Amino acid sequence: MIKIEKSNFGTFIQNLSADYSLFAPVGEGQQSAFREVKNAEQINTHIQITQNSPKTVFLPQTEVLFEFSGDDIQSEEKPAKPMFFWGVRSCDAKSLNLLDKVMGQSKQRPDDPAFQDPYWKARFDDAIILTLACNEPASTCFCNWTGGSPFSKDAGDLWAVETETAYLVEPLSEKGEAFVKGLSGYDTASEKDKQSIAKLKKQAESYLQPAVDAETLKEKLPQTWEDPLWDEVSAKCVNCSACAFICPTCYCFDIQDEGKKDKGKRIRTWDCCMFPIFTKEASGHNPRSLARERVRQRVMHKFRYFWEIYGESLCTGCGRCVRVCPVNLDIREVAKQLLEADSAA
Amino acid sequence: MKNTYIPIPMKVDKIVTEDPEKTLRTYDLNFVNKSDLEKFQYLPGQFCEMSLLGMGESPFGIASSPTEEGFLRFTINRTGLVTNEIHNLREGDAVGIRGPLGNWYPVEDFKGENVVIVGGGFAFTTLRSLLVYLLAHRDDYGEITMIYGARNPDLFIYKNELEAWLKRTDMKLHLTIDNAVDGWQHHVGFVPAVTEELAPSAEKAWVVVCGPPIMIKYTLPVIEKLKFPDERIITSLERRMKCGIGKCGRCNIGSQYVCIDGPVFSLAQLKTIPDAL
Ligand code: SF4
Ligand code: SF4
Ligand code: FES
Repeated sequence: MIKIEKSNFGTFIQNLSADYSLFAPVGEGQQSAFREVKNAEQINTHIQITQNSPKTVFLPQTEVLFEFSGDDIQSEEKPAKPMFFWGVRSCDAKSLNLLDKVMGQSKQRPDDPAFQDPYWKARFDDAIILTLACNEPASTCFCNWTGGSPFSKDAGDLWAVETETAYLVEPLSEKGEAFVKGLSGYDTASEKDKQSIAKLKKQAESYLQPAVDAETLKEKLPQTWEDPLWDEVSAKCVNCSACAFICPTCYCFDIQDEGKKDKGKRIRTWDCCMFPIFTKEASGHNPRSLARERVRQRVMHKFRYFWEIYGESLCTGCGRCVRVCPVNLDIREVAKQLLEADSAA
Repeated sequence: MKNTYIPIPMKVDKIVTEDPEKTLRTYDLNFVNKSDLEKFQYLPGQFCEMSLLGMGESPFGIASSPTEEGFLRFTINRTGLVTNEIHNLREGDAVGIRGPLGNWYPVEDFKGENVVIVGGGFAFTTLRSLLVYLLAHRDDYGEITMIYGARNPDLFIYKNELEAWLKRTDMKLHLTIDNAVDGWQHHVGFVPAVTEELAPSAEKAWVVVCGPPIMIKYTLPVIEKLKFPDERIITSLERRMKCGIGKCGRCNIGSQYVCIDGPVFSLAQLKTIPDAL
């Protein structure tokens, strides 16, 4: 574990930005997001968690898949420089790994590159993610429900803890290992540093509410299929899709063409299962025409369907959806109510 | 690595208008590059996204069989923006495809067994692919029975081929229309009723059912009554699709993605998916 004194942080960041496209938390409150930075002054180092997650860089809200002119098609997948992400919370680092299972890999066709997303891979495979431990989780945080924790080392290439005077950094992956080897001139963390990590960790964990067990929830969900609770919940929901757009693990997208036959672009944009039109077929038939079916779809996908395929839930407990919902639908409350519902199958 | 979102260039080789209303047209497409043709390995039941630059993409089942080499066939029902634009294509025009996508009818499992194919309306496309495939490997399979229904005689697709199949002695084709018309010499009645009447045996047999949702809904109980086990009742689902490669989430039902886990499912599988039917 190496030690980057805060007095050296500026130089460290400067050097990083020479070799990488460096992304870090920028801005306050609703404006906060991961953006490209050139120096340490641009970084918001005190933010607990950004409004927008790093997903917006790897799977942008809108992106050009290719441009065409006549029969000629041009696409650009690879960023000019590999990306380095400073200050990703462990829940968000995990969300990138979850997204990679869908976008970068294919469970059904693991060996066929035709089933891997080239844009995602070009960005994610070379990116270095530095996971920064949360010293002060927010009241909306519930990463402990789905196997996370503020000091989790389960995701990312590097792991860092912020102490009063320094950032202590250690590698988590081969990429991280190589990165640390390439650094010179930094001290190694002392015994005292390690003690302060243990103290910070204990304190951070004490901020979290007791966890609901995601596996119990997953087992319970099929029995709630016809539960009237879905009517109650969906009656509140206004189908704005804010929860899905802000969610670091929602990946649904649409593909549309812009321009004319001889010149234009094929673009993809985020889409969402909460919009009625999402599943409407050309014939007019809509398998999820009712709000209750769509709300149920989102919750089931997060806590049941994804688990059936990949053995874990598609929610990292980041709490963003809780914060942005205009009618204060709290996914934690929905989950608790579902667990308590005595509905038969 | 080749970018999987970039369509394979094709040229329209031949267009056949299937019905007097001109809503159904069949397109034979040729590969522009020989290397693409060689790489394109598929089986009956798979589909492609057809792409018109500037207009978008739409998924269609492949109606040709891999045993017919050198081209791909699609039959397209004019229903929306993209299909309308496809109907404006002329022979020689350029078009793109992505694929082959999805899974296929379990033709390996069918070997040595009888196959019953039940189809309705214009979902007949991949059933044609299947039938042509089975006939090309005729010795590998037992009895082949096909029941195909349309609202009226005009709405059958591949009419010339139907004539030829009716004459064959190594398979049995039953055609049916909803209401009697003058000169019609085949069955009259909805597909479920005709299937019930013909009562194909479930002995050493598989059944493939494809058609509009309403036809599937009423045909499945008939087939279950004939004692076909759920694992041997095969159908192909239609869902809205976009990416076709299991990414965009559009076609998701339960833990399944129709575009990559399907579109072909057994009834046994569908019964484990909430709201699949
Ligand atoms: S569902 Fe809500 S809490 Fe879970 S990952 Fe998405 S935004 Fe975060
Ligand atoms: S959910 Fe957990 S990891 Fe994410 S910000 Fe909150 S405490 Fe940190
Ligand atoms: S069509 Fe995109 S996931 Fe199936």
